[in-house]
Amino acid sequence: MDRSLAIEVNSLVKVFAKRDQRAIRAVDGLSIQVPKGSIFGLLGPNGAGKTTTIRVLTTLLTPSAGEARVMGYDVVQNPLAVRKQICVVVQENAIELHLSVQNNFRVFGRFHGLDANEIQRRTERISELFGLREYLNEKGMDLSGGLKRRVQVAKTFLIDKPVVFLDEATTGMDTFNKRATIQAIKEESRKGRTIVLTTHVLDEAEVLCDSIAIMNHGRLVAQGTVDSVKAYGLRMMSLSMLLADVSSSTLELVRSYQPSSIEVKNATLDITVKDDNTALAILAAVRQHTEVRHFEITTASLEDVFVQLLDKKASPS
Amino acid sequence: MREIMAVVYREYLVRITGLTWMFFDLAVPLLYLLMFGVAFDRALGQGLSVGGQPVSYNAFFLAGVLSMTCFGNALNTSYGFFVDRDNGILFEFLTYPMTRGQFLLGKILFQCAMTVLQSLLTISVSAVLLGVSVPWHFILFVLAAMIVGTAGWFFFLSIFAFLIRRNDTFNLVINVIYFVLMFLSSVFYPLERVPTWLRTVAMINPLSWHADFLRFLTLGVGTLESILLEVAGFIAFLLLSFWAAIRALQKTL
Repeated sequence: MDRSLAIEVNSLVKVFAKRDQRAIRAVDGLSIQVPKGSIFGLLGPNGAGKTTTIRVLTTLLTPSAGEARVMGYDVVQNPLAVRKQICVVVQENAIELHLSVQNNFRVFGRFHGLDANEIQRRTERISELFGLREYLNEKGMDLSGGLKRRVQVAKTFLIDKPVVFLDEATTGMDTFNKRATIQAIKEESRKGRTIVLTTHVLDEAEVLCDSIAIMNHGRLVAQGTVDSVKAYGLRMMSLSMLLADVSSSTLELVRSYQPSSIEVKNATLDITVKDDNTALAILAAVRQHTEVRHFEITTASLEDVFVQLLDKKASPS
Repeated sequence: MREIMAVVYREYLVRITGLTWMFFDLAVPLLYLLMFGVAFDRALGQGLSVGGQPVSYNAFFLAGVLSMTCFGNALNTSYGFFVDRDNGILFEFLTYPMTRGQFLLGKILFQCAMTVLQSLLTISVSAVLLGVSVPWHFILFVLAAMIVGTAGWFFFLSIFAFLIRRNDTFNLVINVIYFVLMFLSSVFYPLERVPTWLRTVAMINPLSWHADFLRFLTLGVGTLESILLEVAGFIAFLLLSFWAAIRALQKTL
């Protein structure tokens, strides 16, 4: 057990098995480490296994195999100790609909051991930070979706737990509140709190995270600092060729170089490859095979890298 | 204890936003007693013979109404899980620093306080308006039985609330359970003259055990040995349901 880590996940597996249905491996052998005091982003498309991973780490689900520790506590052996270390924004809009915003904060504060005066003092701070002052007496049911989400996120900043999980926290928020939330997350991290967030918005992760992991089909596709993942992306190249004829033998030839993707549009062949050498090698080989009327080699964008990584079921970390 | 009181505080805040609901909660047992009880009391004329003692139907039915109050309160509280789940707040609760057991205990503790109020109101009205002779020296036992009864049924019904995803299916299942438990028990009538099959089923019905204990306290019918056995049975039912409800709560996610 590494004391510098807030979260340690080793070969985590979560299988959902329903009667008469094929078992689904929502998380399939995931291993990640999150250092204390950092902001960690778990990225991936819908259904990648991000929320399931968060649910295991927050003790809502028990893993089928593997192990997960939060602040050194095993989520299966010692779930209560884990819950004492965390606060969570779940994916659902979780708010007490019959209670006012103020009472939502009161209830949340009570659950986390704050007294009435402390709750009042902190409520003033977070309502200012999240622009909720004018809504304090409004009932949850009367708030818009974005406001409900804001209240939910604001609650987590009412308390000082060392690890904060934010599952798609900024979903439904307008730009102003998204910015306020991102600012608040950064401030909390500077105080030494560990923030784990899931998102499918790359820009958000890029602005916020010290390190990221990309998941797809329950598996880890890439992991590292934002810069290292970006660097991996910068090596990837896109090769676009307009050919006299796209025959099956040409496609076979291109496939022999194991590109990340091939797309054929009429006589145009769009290929993504690991590096510029492969791109040039393919171009040279195709030119010997058929007439290349036009070609273009460009650096793949981070978005491209992300999409390419997600197209693979598992791979480099 | 802080964790349980936090749940109680939450329940209190939610409930006081619906005072009509709260008033209706308090009034339902009285309505049962005043409408159903009075009508049967008049229809039966000379009353009933229970354990060889002549008693009015109102006096007999008081324990039944109290048992039904426990069941009804437990049902309302367990239904609240559907609302919490639909709001998403149930999942958030389960990440709070408390055990699943503390969550369930806190959830029912506020309702138990309501049950105590209902019981005192119902018993007082039955004494004042219906002339039922109430053994006030047993009142603390009656209130304790009400708390235990509400908790027992709440844990039992929560199992279904956690395992059933759709509230319409839950309503259907609970209606069937309610019907079977109520009418195959000693809540509405003494079991001495009913057919043997019905008596046999009623004797293994926890609702009968609870109603019989309350009737022992309010009317003095039944033997101490048989009542103690029924009390032990109900407590075992409560503990088993509590354990199963915790497991079902974990499975609801």
